[in-house]
Amino acid sequence: MNQEQKYEAAFAQLQDIVRKMESDEYSIDEIAVQLKEAQRLIKFCKDKLTKTEQEIQKIQVERE
Amino acid sequence: MNSEKRLTLYELNNLVKEVIECEMPDEYWVEAELSECKESRGHCYMELIQKDERNATPIAKASARCWASKWMLVRPYFERTTGQQLHAGMKVLLKVYAQFHEAYGFSWIITDIDPTYTLGDMAHKRQEIIRQLKEEGVFDLQKELQLPLFCQHIAVISSETAAGYGDFCNQLVDNPYGFKFQTQLFPAIMQGEEVEQSIINALEHIYNYQLSHFQFDAVVIIRGGGATSDMSGFDTLALAENVANFPLPIITGIGHDRDESILDMVSHTRVKTPTAAAAFLIDHLKTVLDILNDSQEQIVRLAQQKLAYYKSQFATIAELLPRLFSNVKVRQEARLDNLNSRLTHHAQQKITHYQLSIINLENRLPILLDRRLMTEKHRLQLIEEKAKSLDPTLLLSRGYSMTMKDGKIVRDPQVLYQGDEIETRLEKGTIKSIVK
Repeated sequence: MNQEQKYEAAFAQLQDIVRKMESDEYSIDEIAVQLKEAQRLIKFCKDKLTKTEQEIQKIQVERE
Repeated sequence: MNSEKRLTLYELNNLVKEVIECEMPDEYWVEAELSECKESRGHCYMELIQKDERNATPIAKASARCWASKWMLVRPYFERTTGQQLHAGMKVLLKVYAQFHEAYGFSWIITDIDPTYTLGDMAHKRQEIIRQLKEEGVFDLQKELQLPLFCQHIAVISSETAAGYGDFCNQLVDNPYGFKFQTQLFPAIMQGEEVEQSIINALEHIYNYQLSHFQFDAVVIIRGGGATSDMSGFDTLALAENVANFPLPIITGIGHDRDESILDMVSHTRVKTPTAAAAFLIDHLKTVLDILNDSQEQIVRLAQQKLAYYKSQFATIAELLPRLFSNVKVRQEARLDNLNSRLTHHAQQKITHYQLSIINLENRLPILLDRRLMTEKHRLQLIEEKAKSLDPTLLLSRGYSMTMKDGKIVRDPQVLYQGDEIETRLEKGTIKSIVK
């Protein structure tokens, strides 16, 4: 539950960055920082997905 | 008076005796009610009575006796057939002959008793009591009571010394299931005339005992071990009413083979003997135990079924889960990639935009500089021309001169005094003069 929330929070943050980017809310100085943060969030989300998938597979193996 | 023949009492009684013997030599069957009945030295002595049917006043009375030689034959047959001893209040059909004894007076000598007559009368009385109980609406009251599931606190009405009571207690204690019963004896007389009142008193004790102590689950009335089987005391209206109206279930085990007594009929449950009463209580508890065990098994079975169902459901879901999640993952990754490309696209756009701005600025800068330079040049030119037009040498060349004192231009002659040296500048050279 907690992990799911974290994923959702990260995803929401990512969406927020994209929205601000698209509506030109960032100064040049901020762009690089925000891009870097966005990449970190994307990696976090993708890792979380992969990890969850692995856990599900592991649980299934244990069950069998 | 004196001339008449005098008789002694013996002679007179003897006369009566002879008359009776001559005139009434036969035997008669007579219906009568016993008002008294007692045994003495093997003989049975009875008092017979006939009452007026309307007001119950005696309209005939007589003594009767049954000599031991007859009595020892008649009595067992009577008791076996009726299930009762001869007792006061009983209607009997007797075979008698008349006897007058000089010393003991008149008496009917009994040679036979027909028990079926008494039986019929008893049955009639019983039917009457049953009819009355039904009319009062109490006949089935006990049947409506429910024996508690855990029927373990038992009030026992019995004779304290009866073998049946001991059997009952032992049977309960030694039950094969290890059930614990708690019994409390309320002693009562279980034979003879006092049965009715004695049992009623015991029931009353039980009722009062419960108010100050604890609640019983049931009452057991038992009787057993006695040689006789006189049941008349259990067939009375008052006892039946008391039992029927009692708030606890009453179990009877008063041991007899004949028809049910009325007490048995109105009780909650009837069994034959005290041991059967104990067996009934044990069986009842065993039934409850069986129900509990069955319920337990059923609960376990149902729970297992339910578990198996959920397990199989879970297995289905578990198999589905990775597939479902991979869908989720693909979708989420697509969203992430979408966000990522939008992000980089816009960032790139933004950077390009700024780059263009810089290039634009870069291009504009030289033009601006040139323009600025031109403007400055122009301004310089204007200033230069203006400066030129103000050059005094120009005026001097046109023939104007300029007078100066101590290096300053003189514009008013008033400021000059006699003897001051002045300098006059001309186009070509200067003149120094003294003011006069």
